[in-house]
Amino acid sequence: MNINISGVPLTYYLSLAGAMFSIGVLGVLLRRNAVVIFMSVELMLNSVNLVFIAFSKSMGNIGGEVIVFFVMAIAAAEAAVGLAIVIAIHRHKKTVFVDEINLLKW
Amino acid sequence: MTLDLENPQSILFLAFAGVCIGSSLAVILHKNPVISAASLVLSFFALAGIYAVMNAIFIATMQVLVYTGAIMVLVIFVIMLLSLREETNLEIWRNPIKQTAIVLVMIVYGSLLISAMNYNPEIGNGQPKENYSYEIKGPVTSVNVKGNTASIGASTFIDYLLPFELVSVLLTAAVIGAVVIAKRDKLNQS
Repeated sequence: MNINISGVPLTYYLSLAGAMFSIGVLGVLLRRNAVVIFMSVELMLNSVNLVFIAFSKSMGNIGGEVIVFFVMAIAAAEAAVGLAIVIAIHRHKKTVFVDEINLLKW
Repeated sequence: MTLDLENPQSILFLAFAGVCIGSSLAVILHKNPVISAASLVLSFFALAGIYAVMNAIFIATMQVLVYTGAIMVLVIFVIMLLSLREETNLEIWRNPIKQTAIVLVMIVYGSLLISAMNYNPEIGNGQPKENYSYEIKGPVTSVNVKGNTASIGASTFIDYLLPFELVSVLLTAAVIGAVVIAKRDKLNQS
């Protein structure tokens, strides 16, 4: 069965979301700057939002879009707490590079 | 399964998807974190465009307001407060752990792509519904709304009322926690 959303097949949306998620994972694995790692996590959250909306539209169920709304609220909470932690770490260690922060290493 | 290039929405989708992928790559590949944040804003705008192409108007608006408005302002403020320097050595290609990470992510993306291309559901007719109806036992017997935003509002306040209230508690806790964590410690300061 060929499902289209506004004339574009569903698989294209899923492929785009997969590409964005992979880019986000690569950013988390490759970068050293904590703020850029944080931005990569936001990219992954957004790709998951895209999957939620694609399935919500293809199945004719509005619930997925409500979940995306909640994901956005939780991403905002995560942004506030995560950036506060980055500021606190920068105050103590004078760096935000994650390979120079080894407080929990033994 | 193929893209119909006569359709203007397909062309819009391709343009937004290209901008989205390109600026996402710029986020993780650029040395300067300010350029990364600006690319992330562009990526979120392109994603909002894709939501608008999918006719999810409310989510497209929320994407612009919450992500490119609130969250990115927070990120840019933190970059400004910390006065981040550029990463001097982005030694991606010489580090064996990072090479392994790239290969693993490529494998994961390949399997994601294959499973997305083979996705063949039996349910759904591909016609997005824009109405919401709910039966209530009480003086009001049913709720019927039409339109994207009205449907999301009705569904939020009927089906997802408890999660909605819990999100407000979570946001309050997050704001208080952020203030407490980021506050200057007066005992250690002197």
